[in-house]
Amino acid sequence: MNAVLDHLIVVPILLPLVVAATILVFNEKRRRLKQVLSLATTAALIIVSAVLLYLTASPTSGAPLPQVYLLGNWPAPFGIVLVIDHLSALMLVLASILGFTCLFYAVARWDRSGPRFHALFLFLLMGVNGAFLTGDIFNLFVFFEVMLASSYGLALHGGGAVRTTASLHYIVINIATSLLFLIGVSLIYAVTGTLNLADIARLIPSVSSEDDPLLQSGLAILGIAFLVKAGMWPLGFWLPNTYGVASPPAAAVFAILTKVGIYIILRFSSLLLPEYPVFAGGSGAWLKYAGMATMVFGIVSLLASRTLSRLAGCYLIISSGTLLAAVGFGNAAVTPGLLFYLASSTLTASAMYLIIEPVERNAVGDKALSIAEPVFEDEYLGGPEDEEGETEIGVAIPATVALLGGAFILVALLLAGLPPLPSFLGKFAIIDALVRQRSAADASAWMMVALLIISGLAALIAMTRAGIDLLWIPNDRPTARLNIVEASPIGLLLAACVALIICGSQTMVYMENTAEELNRPTAYVDAVLSKIATDRKPR
Amino acid sequence: MAETGRFLEELMLTIVLCLPFLGSLIAGFLPIGARTLAAAVAGLLTLIGFAIVVAHYPDVTLGRVVREEIAWLPSFGLNIVVRLSGLSWLFAALILGIGVLVIFYSRYYMSAKDPVPRFFSFLLAFMGSMLGLVLSGNLIQLVFFWELTSVFSSLLIGYWHHNQSARDGARMSLIVTSAGGVCLLVGFVVIGGIVGTYDVDTLLRSGDTIRSSEHYLLALVLVLIGAFTKSAQFPFHFWLPQAMAAPTPVSAYLHSATMVKGGVFVLALLWPVLSGTDAWFFIVGTIGLSSLLIGAWAAVFQQDLKGLLAYSTMSHLGLITLLLGLGSPLGAVAAIFHMANHATFKASLFMAAGVIDHETGTRDLRRLSGLRRYMPITATLAMVAAAAMAGVPLLNGFLSKEMFLAEALEAHSGTILDLALPYVATLAAAFGVLYSLRFIHQTFFGPPPTDLPRTPAEPPRWIRLPIAVLVLICLVVGISPARTIGPLLETAVVSVLGERTPAYSLAVWHGFGMPMFMSVTALVGGALLYLLFRNRLNAATKSPVIGRWRARKAFETVLDFIEAGAEWAVKVLSTDRLQMQLRLLVGLVIIAGMWPLVRFGYQSGTKPDTLIDPIFAIIAVIGAVAAIGAALRAKFHRLAALVLVGVAGVATCLIFLWLSAPDLAVTQLLVEVTTTFLLLLGLRWLPKRQPDFYGPGGVPIGTYLRRGLDFALALGVGLGATAISYAVMTRPAVDKIGDYFLERAYSEGGGTNVVNVILVDFRGFDTLGEITVLCIVGITIFSLLRRFRPAQESVNLPKQQRVQNAFDHEQDTREVGDTLRDALRVPSLIMQWILPVIVMFSFYLLIQGHNLPGGGFAAGILMAIGLIIQYMASGTRSIEARLNVQPLRWAGAGLLCSVFTGIGAWFFGYPFLTSGYRYIELPILGSVPLSSAMLFDVGVFALVIGATVLILIALAHQSIRIPRTRAVDEGLDATTVPGEAE
Amino acid sequence: MESLLSLMIGILAASGTWLIFRPRTYQVVIGLSLLSYGVNLFILATGRLRLDAPPVIGRTTVDPSLYADPLPQALVLTAIVISFATTALLLVVLLASRGLTGTDHVDGREPK
Repeated sequence: MNAVLDHLIVVPILLPLVVAATILVFNEKRRRLKQVLSLATTAALIIVSAVLLYLTASPTSGAPLPQVYLLGNWPAPFGIVLVIDHLSALMLVLASILGFTCLFYAVARWDRSGPRFHALFLFLLMGVNGAFLTGDIFNLFVFFEVMLASSYGLALHGGGAVRTTASLHYIVINIATSLLFLIGVSLIYAVTGTLNLADIARLIPSVSSEDDPLLQSGLAILGIAFLVKAGMWPLGFWLPNTYGVASPPAAAVFAILTKVGIYIILRFSSLLLPEYPVFAGGSGAWLKYAGMATMVFGIVSLLASRTLSRLAGCYLIISSGTLLAAVGFGNAAVTPGLLFYLASSTLTASAMYLIIEPVERNAVGDKALSIAEPVFEDEYLGGPEDEEGETEIGVAIPATVALLGGAFILVALLLAGLPPLPSFLGKFAIIDALVRQRSAADASAWMMVALLIISGLAALIAMTRAGIDLLWIPNDRPTARLNIVEASPIGLLLAACVALIICGSQTMVYMENTAEELNRPTAYVDAVLSKIATDRKPR
Repeated sequence: MAETGRFLEELMLTIVLCLPFLGSLIAGFLPIGARTLAAAVAGLLTLIGFAIVVAHYPDVTLGRVVREEIAWLPSFGLNIVVRLSGLSWLFAALILGIGVLVIFYSRYYMSAKDPVPRFFSFLLAFMGSMLGLVLSGNLIQLVFFWELTSVFSSLLIGYWHHNQSARDGARMSLIVTSAGGVCLLVGFVVIGGIVGTYDVDTLLRSGDTIRSSEHYLLALVLVLIGAFTKSAQFPFHFWLPQAMAAPTPVSAYLHSATMVKGGVFVLALLWPVLSGTDAWFFIVGTIGLSSLLIGAWAAVFQQDLKGLLAYSTMSHLGLITLLLGLGSPLGAVAAIFHMANHATFKASLFMAAGVIDHETGTRDLRRLSGLRRYMPITATLAMVAAAAMAGVPLLNGFLSKEMFLAEALEAHSGTILDLALPYVATLAAAFGVLYSLRFIHQTFFGPPPTDLPRTPAEPPRWIRLPIAVLVLICLVVGISPARTIGPLLETAVVSVLGERTPAYSLAVWHGFGMPMFMSVTALVGGALLYLLFRNRLNAATKSPVIGRWRARKAFETVLDFIEAGAEWAVKVLSTDRLQMQLRLLVGLVIIAGMWPLVRFGYQSGTKPDTLIDPIFAIIAVIGAVAAIGAALRAKFHRLAALVLVGVAGVATCLIFLWLSAPDLAVTQLLVEVTTTFLLLLGLRWLPKRQPDFYGPGGVPIGTYLRRGLDFALALGVGLGATAISYAVMTRPAVDKIGDYFLERAYSEGGGTNVVNVILVDFRGFDTLGEITVLCIVGITIFSLLRRFRPAQESVNLPKQQRVQNAFDHEQDTREVGDTLRDALRVPSLIMQWILPVIVMFSFYLLIQGHNLPGGGFAAGILMAIGLIIQYMASGTRSIEARLNVQPLRWAGAGLLCSVFTGIGAWFFGYPFLTSGYRYIELPILGSVPLSSAMLFDVGVFALVIGATVLILIALAHQSIRIPRTRAVDEGLDATTVPGEAE
Repeated sequence: MESLLSLMIGILAASGTWLIFRPRTYQVVIGLSLLSYGVNLFILATGRLRLDAPPVIGRTTVDPSLYADPLPQALVLTAIVISFATTALLLVVLLASRGLTGTDHVDGREPK
C-alpha cells in the first residue's frame, strides 16, 4: 500500500473522533448541520472500511498479509500498533454498515429525544473500530472504555425510569468488568513484560513454568471480561434488559457490541491458542459447553419473551452462544461458517431492533417523542428546540402495512434461519463442518446441530406469535404512517442480508481466507514485529 | 441477440419458476380495488407458464430429464438446479393448470370488499413456491421452497385475519408444516452426509448406499415426518381441518391439488431411494393406512361441507401414502395416478362447496337440503365429482381405486398388515362412498331448505366454468383413460421407476375379479350405511371413537406447555437483580483466576521481601483500616464512609509516592479531591436511611445467609488478590518494554519525566482514548442531568438553609440568602484569592510536565478544582452570571487540538502522533521543551478542564433548578419506553 | 514490604467486593472506588516494587535498573482517569435513578 492508503488504517478511528469533537463545539441548535455531518461521516466510514476490506482481500503482491500501522512511529512492541487483516476488515465493514443505517434511522425522530446523540453515536463507532484495529491489549482496554462510555450514554438516551435502572445495572457490571480487564492486562505484563498482542504470542512459549500459572490466570480473568461483553450465560442477563429498553437505533447499533467480545475471543484464541487452551479447545472445551448453555438459555428465553424487543435480545444471546460454541469446537473447518453466521446474525439483529418500533407503533400506538419533553424551565437553555417546527423528518410512504408486514416476515425468516437466507447459510456451513468429517462428529457436535435447528424453530414460533398479535389482531387505531427515513435503513439492512446470499460464494471464499489467516498466527506475529518504523524521527 | 436467445432457451424453466413471483410482486402493488386487473395478470402469467411447461413435455418422456443449473455455492454442493422430470412435469402441469382455474374462480368468488390484489399476490407467490418445490433438483433448494409454501399458505389461510379462527389456523399450519420442514432439512442434510451431494439426480442413482448406511433410519424418519406433516397424515393431520378457515379458492387449491400433495410428492420422488426396506414398509404403510381410515371415519361425521372434504382429503392422501408404502412398482403407479385424479375431483368439489356457501350463506349439512331445484347445473357437476370421489365406474376415481384394491390383494411381506389390507381397503372405500353420498344427498336432495341465510339461486355462469372443466376431465379420464391420461402417467411413472416400471393396463373394464367385487361391495355397503344411519349422522356433534382424541387440543396444550415451561425455566436460569449478577460474576472470576494456580501449583517468587519501612507500614495499615471502615459504614453513615474512602485514597497516594511514582501521587490526590466534591454534591439527593429497615421482626435469616455468602466471596477475592499480587511482586523482573522507554525517553522523546513522555508520546494513543472517555462521560452526565428529577422529599432546600432564609425573610432589611452569604464571606474571600495561585500552579504543571511530575491531566483537573472552588465561594447563580464557562466547547476544542497535533505528523510523512520537539530558552522558566507532544498535552489540559467543570457544574447546578409544573412531570412519569409493549 | 502491600491490595479488594454486593447504590459506588484503588496498586505492583528511585531520568544515557518501571505508572494514570470518569457517571446515574424510581435500591424497587 502506498503512503496515503497506509494512513487509511487509522482513519476509521480518527474520522468519527474528529467529527464528534467538531459537533461538540457547535451549539445543539444547529441540529441539521450535525445530522448532515454525522451521516456523511458514517457514509464515509462505509467507504473507508470497504476500501480496507478490498485491500486486505486482494493484496498488491503475494499472499495477503496483515497490514500494520505504527502509531507515533514507534516500532512494535514498544509503541502501539494498529493491525488490519481479513477479520478486522470484516468487522469494520459490519460496524460501519450498522453505524450508517442506525444513524439514518435515528435522524427520523430519535436523535431528538435527548441531547448530544450524534456525538455519542460517533464516539461509539470510534471505540468499536479502535477495538477491531488495535494490536495492543492495553490500548484495547482504552477503546473498550471509549465504546462502553458512549454506549452508557446511548443506553440512557431518551431517559425514563426503566432505561435508567437498566443502564445502572449495565454500567455497574461493565465497570466491574473493566477492573477485571485491567487486572488481566497487568498480570500479562507482569509475566511477559509486554503489551503487544503479537509480542505476547511470541513470548508465551518462553514463559517459565513458575510464571505460567500467573499468565494463565491473567488470561482467564481477561477471558471472563470478554465473555461478559459477549453475553455468555450466566454473565449476560444484563443484555436483553439493557438493549430491550434502549432507544431503537441505540439498541440496533449495540448489536455489534456483543460481537466485539466474540471478535476478541476469536483473535485471542487464534494468537494464543496454539500455546494455550485457555479460550477454546483442548482441556478448555468448557467454552463449547458454555456456548451451548448460552444457546439453550437463549432459546428458552426466546420462547418466554413477550415483547419483540426482548425477543431480539434473546436472539442476540442465541447468536453469541452459537458463536462461542462454534469457537469452542476449536475446529478450523467450522470457522468460515462461524464468520458467515456472525456477519448475518449481526445484520439481522440490527434490522430486528429497527423494525420493532414501527411495527409496534401500529399495534400499541406511538410513544416515541413524549420522552423528549423538557422537565425544567431552564432545560433547553442552549439546548435543542424544535426550531424546525416539525417533529419528524421525511415523508410517509404508502402501503405501510404491506411493507411492514413484508419486512417483518423477512426478518422473521432471517431469525429462523430458513434456507437460503444468510443465517441459514452460516448455520448450514457450521453443521456441514461438524457432520462432514466423522471424527469431529461426536455427541457434542450432534448436540450443537440439534441446538442450531431448535433455535431456528423457536425463533419462528416466537416470531409467529408476536407477528400475528401485532400485525393481524384488528385494532381501531389508524395505521401509523411509516416514515421513509425509518423504512430505508431497514431496507438497507435487509438488502445487505440478501446481498450476502446472492454473493454467497464470494463471501464464503472471503470467510475461508479469513479462517485460513486465523489458523496461521505466525503471519500476524511476523507482520507486526517485523514492521520497521519510518526512517528517522523529525527534529 | 442470438446469444441472449439461447440463454433464454436454456433458462426457460427458470423463467417459468420466476413468473409467479413476478406476478405476485405486480399484484402486490396494485390498488386495493383492482380485482379484475389482478386476476387478469395472475391468470395470464399462469397460462404462459402452463404453456411453456406443456411445451416441454416431449423432453421428459421415456424417463428423460431437463436440467438447468446455476452455480451458487459449489463448495457446499449448493447449486440452484431446476429439474423437470416426468413426475415433476405432471405436478407442474397440475399446479399451473388448476392454478388458472382457481384464479378464474376466485375472481368471481372473492368479494370486492376484500383487498383482492393482496390475495392474488399471495396466491401467485404460493404457486411459485409450489412450482419451485416440484422443480427442485437440489434437496436444500427443495426445502427452501417447501418452507416458502408453508409461509405463503399460512398467509392465505390467515387472509381473513380479522376472525380468530383464521389466525389460529394460519399459526397452526405454519408451525406444524415448517417444523416438519425443519425435520425434512435435517433428514436431507443427513442424506447429503451419506451420499456427499444434495443433487437429486446423483442421489437417485445411489439408493443402495443410502439404504445400507447406518444413518438410513434417522434420515428416513426425519424425511417422513416432514412429508407427513405436509400431507396432513396422522398424527399431524389436525392442522388441515383448521385450515378450512381459509377462503374456499385457497382450500380448493392448497388443500386438494397442491400443497398437501407436496409431502407425497417428496415420497414419490425419493421412492426409488428410500423405499423397499422393512422400515419404510411399516412406517409409511401403517401411517398411510391409519390416515386412510381415520380420515374416512372422521369425514363421515362432519357437518361442515369443507370439514367433510378436508377429512376426505386426509383419507385420500392416506391412500396414496399407503400405496407408496407398499413399496411395489404397481403400488407406486396407482399412487401417482391417484394423485392426479384426487387433485381434479377434490378441487372441483371444493369449488362447488364454495358456490353453495356463497349462494346459501351456510356450509352446514344439516341446514342444507334440496338445492338441486335452485341450482341444477351446479348440483349435476358436484354429483359427478362426488361420484368420482366415491369411485363410481366410468370416472377417474374409480380407476385408481381399482388399482389400489388390486394392490391391496397382493401379498407383500406376509404380515398381519397384508392380511388385514383387503378388508380395511374395502371398509375405507365404503366409508368413502358413505360420505360422498351424504355430501350430495344432504345438499341437493330432500325437501326444500327452510332456514337459509340467503335464498339460493344458480350462481353466475363464469364461476361454474372451472368446476365444469375439472368435472369434464374426471369424465374423460374415467371413460377412456388409456388415450387421455395414459401417456402422461406413463411418463411420470417411468421417471420414478425407470426400468422397474411394471406392466399395467388402464382399461375401464378388467372383468369380474376380486377388485371389482370389492368395489361393488364398497358401493353397496356405503349406500346401505347411509340409508341406515343418515339421521343419526345428522345428530352427531363429533366423530365417535376418535372424536375424543383431539389432536388440535393436544397441539395447543403442547404450545402452552412449552411457553409456560420456558417462562419457568427463565425464572430459574436467570435473574434481573444486580446483586445476583455481580455475585455470579465475582464467583466465576474467583474460579477462573484461581484455577490455574490450584492446578499448576501456586508458588511465590524467590525475590527476598524488601525490608518493611515503618512509616510505610503505618500508612498501609491506616489505608486498610479505612477501607474496612468504609465498607462497614457505607450503609447508614454516608458522610463517614466518604471520609474513610478519602483516607484510603490518600493512603494510596502516599504509597504511590513511596514507590517512586510521584505523577501517580499527584494525579491520584487531585482526582481524590474532585471525586469527593462530586460525592458531596450528590449526597444531598440521596434518601434518609431508616436504621430499622427490617422492622421489629429483626433481620431475617435469609439475609444473614446472603451476607455470609457475600462475605465468603469478598474473602475469596481478597485472598486471591493478595496471593497473586504477592506472587507477582516477589518474582524476579522479566525484561520488559518499560526499559526501552527509560532509554529513549530523553534521547528520542525529549523529556526526562518518562511517565509523561509515555503518556504523550510513546503511548499517546492511549491518552487520546482516555481523554475521549472523559469527554464522553462529560456529555452523558450533562445530558442526563438535563432531565434529572430529584425525588419528592429531597426537592426542597436543606433544613438549615431554610431556617436561615426564613430569618432573612422576616427582617425587611435583609434579603433572602444574606445569612448564608455572611457565613461564607471570609472563606469565599480566601477562595477568590486562591484562584490566581491555582491557575499559576496548574500552568506550571502543564509546561513542566514533560520533565517534572505533572502534565496536562493533572494541570487540567487542578484548574477545574480552582473553578469549582469559585462556585462554592460565591454561589452558583452569581458565578454563572459573571463568567460564562462553555465546558462543552472547551472539551471539543481540547480534543481537536490533541487529534490535529497527531495528524500534523502526516504532513511530514510520518504516522499519526509522531512527535518532534525542540528546547527553547525562556526567562524565569529556564529551558522549556517545545514539542508537538506538548501541544498534545495542551489539548489534554483543555479537555480535562472542560469535562470536569462540565460534570461538577452540571451537578452543582441542580440545586437551583425549578422543577416544571407537575403536569409535565406526571406526563413524564407516565411515559414508558418505546419498544416495550405492556 | 511486598507482603504488606499485597495484604493491603487484598483488603481493598475484599471490602470493595463486599460493598458492590450491597443493595444500596451509594454503597456500590463506594465499593467500586475502593476496588479501583486496589487495582491501581496492583497494576503498579506488577512493575515490581521500587523504593526511592529518582522520579525523573537524567539527560545522559540511562541505566534502566536504577529506575522504577515507568510503564505501569502510565497505565495506572490512564486507569485513574477512566475510573474517575466512570465513577462520576455512575454517581449521576444513581442520582437520576433515585429521582425517577424514588428509591436508592440498585434494582430501582425496594425488595419485598
